[in-house]
Amino acid sequence: MLQNEQEFIRILKDRLSGTLAKEELDDIVSDYAEHFQVGRANGRSDEELWRSLGSPEDVAREIKAMHLVKKAESVKSCSNIFHAVLATLGLGLFNLVFVLAPFLLLVCMLVVVLILGFVFTITGPVTLLYSVLQMAGLPAFAIWLNPVAGIFISVGITTTGLLLIIGDYYLARFFYRVGIAYLKWNISVITGTEGTA
Amino acid sequence: MNIQFKKGVLEICVLSVLAYKDCYGYELVNEISKRIDISEGTIYPLLHRLKDEGYVTTYLQESAGGAPRKYYRLTDSGRKEEHERKEEWMRFAASVNALLERKNDAAE
Repeated sequence: MLQNEQEFIRILKDRLSGTLAKEELDDIVSDYAEHFQVGRANGRSDEELWRSLGSPEDVAREIKAMHLVKKAESVKSCSNIFHAVLATLGLGLFNLVFVLAPFLLLVCMLVVVLILGFVFTITGPVTLLYSVLQMAGLPAFAIWLNPVAGIFISVGITTTGLLLIIGDYYLARFFYRVGIAYLKWNISVITGTEGTA
Repeated sequence: MNIQFKKGVLEICVLSVLAYKDCYGYELVNEISKRIDISEGTIYPLLHRLKDEGYVTTYLQESAGGAPRKYYRLTDSGRKEEHERKEEWMRFAASVNALLERKNDAAE
């Protein structure tokens, strides 16, 4: 493969065209094109400039990851944060440990709390129904529970369940905010390749 | 030296060079890669980020006998940021150096 300006720009455009808006892409591309032009004027060959810039694939991956994280920051959605995490994962194998593992852990935690919340919320009315039936004179099956206590307990359980669901929502928002800050830091500090110039 | 080390300080380096004078991309990259061995391609994404954050702006200026070049300039908030980060770095570096060289307690 020929390592010249045209090829570098072609790969960069190719990798970024689906993600970045045209103006932003043109702005980024113009920087690299200028870099090659000025470099040549300073007597460096295209190949040399290519090597010191790093591969266009790597450059594109980093720009793309940063862009997707910024997008997830301004428009909060599951799909946006998912894409941001995915793009950051692509920056290095070690991000399986530094990004994927914590991400899965937090998502699991949120899901578990949410399920618990629902279970509690549903258990409340069931307990209430059970107590009411008991008061109406139905024989207690399975467990015996003081019907009056049962009513209070059902209210308590449902309230706990609803609080868990509400708490989960705020926890998710908190994780989202911290996650974005962490991804930004990850991209700007952890990832990257040594220069070869 | 490891890459995290270098990338971590790249931002303050870029801000610092720009605090001294406005630069076009190649000039800035050259100024930094002269002293720090880093993949030059990562400086441009950094510049874009700084621009997004409002620390730098760009303007075009004719060059002698070539296409106009894109110059990067620190904004007021960029200048403030540069100043704070520099202070912070200087204090931190001085502490680390003192610790590494163990100037004070060598006699004890």
